[in-house]
Parts: sequence; C-alpha cells; structure tokens
Amino acid sequence: MSMNVVEASGLGKRYGGTWALRECTLAIPDGHVAALVGPNGAGKTTLLNLAVGLATPSAGRVTVLGGRAPGSPVALDGIAFVAQDAPLYKNLSVADMLHVTRNLNHRFDQGYAEDRLAELGIPPNRKAGRLSGGQQAQLALTLALARRPRLLVLDEPVAMLDPVARHDFMAIVLTAALDDGVSVLLSSHVLAELERVADYLILLSRGRVQMVGEVDDLLASHRVLTGPAGEADRYAERPVVHVRRAEAQAHLLVRATANDPVPPGWESHPVGLEELALAYLREPGAAALPGPTLPGPARGRHAEPSEVAK
Amino acid sequence: MVIDKGDDDRAGASPASGGVYSDQHLRVSDAEREAVSGRLAEHFAAGRLDQAEFADRVGRAMSAKTRGDLRGLLADLSETGSPAVPELARGGGGTPGATPGGGSRGPGSPIEFRLDAASGVPTYLQLVHQVEHALRLGYLTLGDQLPKVRDVVASLAINPNTVLKAYKELETKGLTAGRPGQGTFIQATLSQVGLPELAGLRKALLGWLTAAEGAGLDEDGMVALFTSALRDFHERRSGSRTRGGAASGETEGVA
Repeated sequence: MSMNVVEASGLGKRYGGTWALRECTLAIPDGHVAALVGPNGAGKTTLLNLAVGLATPSAGRVTVLGGRAPGSPVALDGIAFVAQDAPLYKNLSVADMLHVTRNLNHRFDQGYAEDRLAELGIPPNRKAGRLSGGQQAQLALTLALARRPRLLVLDEPVAMLDPVARHDFMAIVLTAALDDGVSVLLSSHVLAELERVADYLILLSRGRVQMVGEVDDLLASHRVLTGPAGEADRYAERPVVHVRRAEAQAHLLVRATANDPVPPGWESHPVGLEELALAYLREPGAAALPGPTLPGPARGRHAEPSEVAK
Repeated sequence: MVIDKGDDDRAGASPASGGVYSDQHLRVSDAEREAVSGRLAEHFAAGRLDQAEFADRVGRAMSAKTRGDLRGLLADLSETGSPAVPELARGGGGTPGATPGGGSRGPGSPIEFRLDAASGVPTYLQLVHQVEHALRLGYLTLGDQLPKVRDVVASLAINPNTVLKAYKELETKGLTAGRPGQGTFIQATLSQVGLPELAGLRKALLGWLTAAEGAGLDEDGMVALFTSALRDFHERRSGSRTRGGAASGETEGVA
C-alpha cells in the first residue's frame, strides 16, 4: 500500500538547448488523485510523458508502480494514459475502437466498456469523430479504464470540456478511484476545480517542482495574515511566501498553522488551494517541498516564464 | 384522543384530527401543534416532503389556530400513497430509512450534500457541517442513513478520500456509525432540542429581528450584533468555567 506510483529523482528533460523539466524530485504515493498544475510551458506534459515512457530522461531517473521502469511490460500493463486531445481513430466506429483496444491490450474488460458506453448513451455504430467533445473524452476514458489500470494518467483531461461534461467526466474518474482503487495523476491548469478533486498536489513552475504534498497538509500549513501595511516587513516570525500590499493594508501568505499566534492587530485566515497555488506561482523563489531536497531559489533563465494559469 | 391504530388512510392524520366532524373551527393546543410537527417530520424523513416544503409546513403548524388549519397541512400526505411527491411513493413502503441497498435515488438518505466552492471552507468540513446542521434542525434523526460514499462522489464529482474523511470525522464525534455492507447511520443527536422548541425559538428570534429592524438596523447590522453577542456569550461562559475572572474581552478572542 505504501508503493509510490511515480517516483523521480533529479529528473530532467532537455529539448535542444532548453530544459523542459529540471531537477525534478518527487514521490507520488499510491491511492491518491494527484493533480499536476502549473502555467503553460511549466513541464507538465513532459513529466507525464517521462512517467508513461513516451520520452526518455536527459538527466536523473524516474520509476513507476513501485520501482518499475516506464515502458517496461509491467508498467505498460498497469498504466493507462489519455493524452491531451482524447486521441481516437476518428474514422472508426465506437464498437471498432473497442475491438482495436481489446486486441492491442493484454487485459480489456469488454463488459465494463459496453456498460459504461450504454450508460452514457454513446451509440456503438457512431464514428468516433462524429461524437461530441464530451463523448469523445468519455470514450477515451472508458477505453483507458476498461484496461483495469492501477494508475490512470490524464493530460489536461477537461481543458476542452464544458462545465457539465467536465463534471460528468471527473465523476467517472473519481468513482473508478473509489471502486477499483485506481490511482490517478492528472495535469490541469484549471485551478479552481482541483480543490474538490485532488488530494495530492504537484506544482510545477518553469520546469521545476515548486510545491508538492497532500492537499490537506498544504492548506493546513499556510495562513493568510491581514494587517497594517507598515508592519508587513517586521513580520518575520514565520516564513512569508507572498505579500500583497496596498497603502494601508497588506496580506501575507505565511507558512503557519491555525494554532500559531497572530501578532496584535493582525487577522489570520485559512487559504484556499487556488489562492495558495497562485501565490507560489507568483514567487518563483518560494518552495514548499518535503524532506531535504529543498532546492535554492530558482536561478535559471532556462525557460521563459509564461502567463500564470487562470 | 387516539381512536384506532388501523392503517387506513385516515390514520395518518389522526393525532391532529382526534375529534370527529365539523370541528374545523375548534382552537388547537400546543400539544396538537407538536403532534402535527412530528407527523410532518416523519413524512419528511420518508421523502414525501422536500426541505423547503417541510420547513414551511412546520412553520404553519406552529402558528396554526384551528383544527382546520392543521388538517390542511397533512391532507395531501398519507402513509400509503403520497400525492405530494408521487415518484418516491413506490420506494418508501412507510418505514423511513429502513431499506438499505436501494437505488442511488431511493429512500436511502433524507439529505443530500451540496458544495459551496466560494465559501473557503475545506470540502470535507462542508460535509461535516451539513450533517451537523441537518441534525440540529431535525432533518436527520437517529437511525437515518447518510448518503452512500459512492453516490456522493458521483453526484458532486469530489475526491472519495474527502467523503471518507468527513464520514470518519462524524464517526469520531460519535454522531454516526458505519454498518458493514449497509452504509453510515446516525447514532446520536446533536441537540436535545425538539422541533417544537426550535420553532418556538425561531419565533422569538423573528420577534427580535422585527424589533431590530424597527430600531433601524439593516441585515448586516443584525448579523454583526448577533455575532458579537454570541462571542460575548461564549467568552462569559468559558471564562466562568476556567475561573471566575473578569472576561478580558477582545484581546483574548484575537490571540
């Protein structure tokens, strides 16, 4: 049970002269829905591709499913990956997609797939390319889950979906996590919805891991302090991650718990996941990482800072 | 007062309509009002009334003057058929919450969760609070079933661990107990305050609100005043518990 579904140490990937991912060290424990978040170009897809064996590391190493090499038979068998644009053969019918997937895989639960598609009202004789965006995403997800994986990897699964389709899609992912104990690793830049979906967070910024941990722990170890701007600089009792300041009032995001003392004249508030992630993304030098692998402030200019996630 | 326990349709309304025919204009006692509230709670638990309708009818029951008023509140509800919410009639055979393992929308749990993403309250705590709230207001009572974890996950698209954490917290608080293979059930009530007392308190509060409005307070002002009074009340109580010392007011609350 204490297996890590993905483990990386010093992992890096270089494309030409640019490091897409650098000094990435993390361990994602089994039995979680882990969210990989960060701005565009932060290295999310690169990390996922390395984990599923579609890319090979330029530095460091990565293992999956408790120490297996990505791309090894055990890893291929135990991991289902749905790439960014719900890849399907658009000219094949739904039934043919099932047929192909069944024959290309060691294990395929035809009954599960047919039941799911019937529940979703997806007609088996319709060509995959003629399905709606939501249905295509559901079909790709169904094909992945019918392989009965131990780890489901989804690259930006809901980016193109409307709110209802997004909700239905995530409901199925989360139900599979509950029913079959599937671990999930998904990348996203829709921060707002992650708080209810993910219980583990990996924040990537400019090719580096900036924050990683159980969502509850991350939220419990940060507070927002609001008080007079003039005193903001004097507050050094706890590490300050991010400061937002106006003439009179300042908000400090600090590493502190609800039980830590608050200076007189200041108010302490809990922080939401979105606010927390945004604060870290705005402070590339700050990091919240477990263990001794705390890297120094980002010194590189190896990747362009792109716009912050919505 | 109670005539017979036969299970014809009229049995459902008997506590309130003890007397027979043209008693429409007879004045009712508090006991009768409470009996009707109790009946309404049972109908609510069996899924024949939704929350808003239930709250409305209890309010009307507590302010009813005549038997006619009371009877109207139960007229469209009966044990066997349920004209108010027909689609639930088949599932609930009269005994609330007694059939585990039903469909996802069956007579399983009297409550359903919702999430407020903007509240800033952690998701699992929102679920805990909603169960406590439902217990305080009588929407949930002893033996009622909580929604199944899988149903909550599927309907809200939330992380299963979040639901499990909330249910564990409720169990730790002694409010619920899991029954293997069946689900999670209410084991204790939060307050001993019954529906009638609650309705009475609510009435007193409405009176206070009217007075506050008369004095020129707007809604925010009322909330602020209430919150501040509640804090004073809390401090005085905890202050007198630790020692008889003077409640040192603000500073203690801020620290």
